[in-house]
Amino acid sequence: MKIGVLVLEGPYQHQAADSAYHFVKAALARGHEIVGIFLYTDGVNNANGYIKPPGERNIAERYSELASQGIDVIACTACARFRGFRRDMVVENVRLGGLGALADQLKAADRFVTFGD
Amino acid sequence: MENTVAVLMRKAPYGSVYTAEGLRSILGIGVFEIDVRVLFVDDGVYALVKNQDPSVLDMKSLGDAFPSLPEFGVSSFTVHAPSLAERGLSVEDLVIDAELVDDAGAAALLASAGTVLPF
Repeated sequence: MKIGVLVLEGPYQHQAADSAYHFVKAALARGHEIVGIFLYTDGVNNANGYIKPPGERNIAERYSELASQGIDVIACTACARFRGFRRDMVVENVRLGGLGALADQLKAADRFVTFGD
Repeated sequence: MENTVAVLMRKAPYGSVYTAEGLRSILGIGVFEIDVRVLFVDDGVYALVKNQDPSVLDMKSLGDAFPSLPEFGVSSFTVHAPSLAERGLSVEDLVIDAELVDDAGAAALLASAGTVLPF
């Protein structure tokens, strides 16, 4: 099955970003295809390459890892602007994109799963 | 997948970014040949109440935006009637003409959509 994923919450404050990551890993392990991950609203902060949590899981590296496997991980450009999140701060392999990219993922997916509050 | 997206408005219009971003997503994806239908449930119905004035919060009224959505190709608005009634509201209080549905109607709308985006 082709699955798209939307993340609406940022790192560490809320379970959503962790749940989305584990969901994607589990779906891939079952042989499903992930057509894309869209990081929306505070979700863009999951792609901050400067995240360095002492002794804890690195959520940004996790999304970078998924993107390195060929999954299109996109952080919302406008949301990034609202949060002072500069293009040069985006973690490796993740890119910024607009709502048109979300529309493309919606069209490409058989199922679209949202993680948020 | 069928290009029908149900945008589900669940939360009060101010206090979190969810409703505001739901509105932006409607504008953002509605232009990409996606059939967008908007369903208001729970505190989400407050987004449609007339005469909102969030100026004291330094925010813009979201209620003003919904009547202009048909210009962007989005004109399917549905309100969960029990959510409206529980809050002492009626259709006369709303900024748009919306279709009223009960629990089963709301469920049917969500089931018929290819995708549900919950905000």
